[in-house]
Amino acid sequence: MIGFSILILLPLIAALFCYVVKNLRVQYNVSVLVSLLHLFLSLMIFLGYYHVQLPTFFSFDSLSKLFLVILSNVYFWVVLVSFTYLKRPVTSKAQEGKKYYFLLLNFYLASNSAAMLSDHFGMYWVTVEMTTLSVAPLIYYYRNEEALEAMWKYLFLVSVGIAFAFIGILFLTLSANGTALEGKQLFFWEFIRNAKELNPIWLKASFIFIFVGLSTKIGIAPMHSGDVDATSNAPSPIAALMSGSLRLTALLGVMRIFQIITPTSSFEFARVILIIGGLFSLFTAFVFMFKVNNYKRMLAYSSVEHLGIITLGIGIGGLAFIGALYHAIYNSITKVVLFLSAGNIHSRFKSREVDKVKSVLNIMPKTGWLFLLAYLAISGIPPFGIFFSEIKIFEGILFSDKPFVLALVMIFLLFIFINMGKIIFTMLYKKGDEEVSQTKPEKFNIIHLAAILLLILLVVIAVTSPEIIYQNILNVAKDFGMKL
Amino acid sequence: MENVLSILFCLSLFYVSITSRVKGYVAVLQFQGLLLTVLVFLPFIKNFSIFGIILPITLLVVKVILVPRYINKIILDLDIKRVIEPTIQQIVFLLLVIATMIVIFLTSSILSQSTELEVIPFASGFSAIALGIYIIIFRKKLIVHVCGFLVLENGIFLFGTAVASELPMMIELGVLLDVFVVVFLMGIALNKIRSTFEGFEVTDLGRLKD
Repeated sequence: MIGFSILILLPLIAALFCYVVKNLRVQYNVSVLVSLLHLFLSLMIFLGYYHVQLPTFFSFDSLSKLFLVILSNVYFWVVLVSFTYLKRPVTSKAQEGKKYYFLLLNFYLASNSAAMLSDHFGMYWVTVEMTTLSVAPLIYYYRNEEALEAMWKYLFLVSVGIAFAFIGILFLTLSANGTALEGKQLFFWEFIRNAKELNPIWLKASFIFIFVGLSTKIGIAPMHSGDVDATSNAPSPIAALMSGSLRLTALLGVMRIFQIITPTSSFEFARVILIIGGLFSLFTAFVFMFKVNNYKRMLAYSSVEHLGIITLGIGIGGLAFIGALYHAIYNSITKVVLFLSAGNIHSRFKSREVDKVKSVLNIMPKTGWLFLLAYLAISGIPPFGIFFSEIKIFEGILFSDKPFVLALVMIFLLFIFINMGKIIFTMLYKKGDEEVSQTKPEKFNIIHLAAILLLILLVVIAVTSPEIIYQNILNVAKDFGMKL
Repeated sequence: MENVLSILFCLSLFYVSITSRVKGYVAVLQFQGLLLTVLVFLPFIKNFSIFGIILPITLLVVKVILVPRYINKIILDLDIKRVIEPTIQQIVFLLLVIATMIVIFLTSSILSQSTELEVIPFASGFSAIALGIYIIIFRKKLIVHVCGFLVLENGIFLFGTAVASELPMMIELGVLLDVFVVVFLMGIALNKIRSTFEGFEVTDLGRLKD
């Protein structure tokens, strides 16, 4: 019960605390403490040193252990840099947004951990909707028109999307009619155990509804628009949180239903849908990278691209599946660095337009170099992790039954790499009107420190490739019945 | 009895598709909430239990009292013009709804041959889901979109009772709470949209694009 308290109840208590205590500094200290405990415990659980007893509706398996560590890691860094971020001057209207910042963050941690650990479709649904509710007000942090529009669209689209996922869950109940599961609770593991008996028509319908519904939250094209708007207009730490962990929470739901469908005759059908979804996301990112002129939107499209790659890898299966899970880890870390650097640039230039940002490497060299390194990392340049995970995914595609997919993926990735590079190099190198001597030198702060540590972590995980992560991912693949 | 309630539910859908007043939408939401409450309450007439009564009461409080009142308050506070502004003619909309309903009812009765399900509640619920989406697509006002979303939610609720799924009460309550908070947040957002954009129509929201 102690484990459950730390993972879910403690953040809730911290949220309550943040409601009562108005001092931002105290709120920050408490939130960092909670996130540190959370990270420590999820690492202990992941490494197998600690076994947690969870109440009904919650349980652990290899997949939730992995995703919980990813969430906990991203959340910790985001909270750590939040105070520095909040100290930046904003309009008087936006001051109001700071009051609820840590409250909502803690509430987010509680609901997201609950979603990761739930083993019941109903509980999963309720908690995922709660994550939307906690993130939506945070998107509106800047209190300007764009942020308001983004929040409205995100809240509305995702709520309708999640309502669709609920229909999918009801279809899943229908598919259990006449089997041993009829009238029983909607536990994942019961469905996985009895998957072969389920009615294939309802199972397919259920998969489509859950996939399309949760796509709004994962950011899979063509349902990505609300998510892109939200990620690009939210304050940078929140954008990092959304790209690094919230999208994976929604992906978890799709993976659960995919796991149920794997041993059945509908497997091929679900696979094709995942592959099409992934390819279409890559295609969308490919098209929009040509015309995007807002660097935070560019990063949001990059998230669409990478979640597309992960979905594609899961759909292809085998080695690509292993690669996709590695990709989820690396992508989450890299996205935090990218968004935090973008946040630094935004606070200096007061604009998200690429044209208004010039000569970043001269004016703010520390952020500039970190941004450049993170760009190289996200593009899959060795020794950063994404290189290794993408190689695995490509190899998986090449030796699967659909090798031609690889050609499409390569073309899309090449152009995304070029176009992103064009934008980023313009921002970094293009000479501006402003002389360097007129500006104050950039101070080293905790955001830089976090970014450096995260990049080191990225390289270390990739190069040493710890056995425990590999074993865990292998276990997930086994749970899914993948042939390697 | 379930069938009678479902048919009443369907009639309310027709009313929604033809009315041109925002108030009409709210009244229908209230009526649908009442129908759903009765539907959930029915099994308890035979074997009454204090514990089981919590869900119908919460349903009544949320769907019949709180949400409609809240929407009415928003309409009053923001002084929204009381007519919905459709993007297509009402009669075309009605025909579209009827056509969709026919397709849904026929499909459900075909599906019921292979799977055990109660056709009328199932199809009524699904019709409400479709209508909710149509409202969101074919109406301009954001407050009407919220109503459309709630019609969709009501549809899912009815549909859920039709597939005889027994979700635990805690989760049913969680779902209700979530929906309520969504509407609450949407209301706050509408307030802000009113003061920021000086309008409440979809066309006002066009800043974010590539």
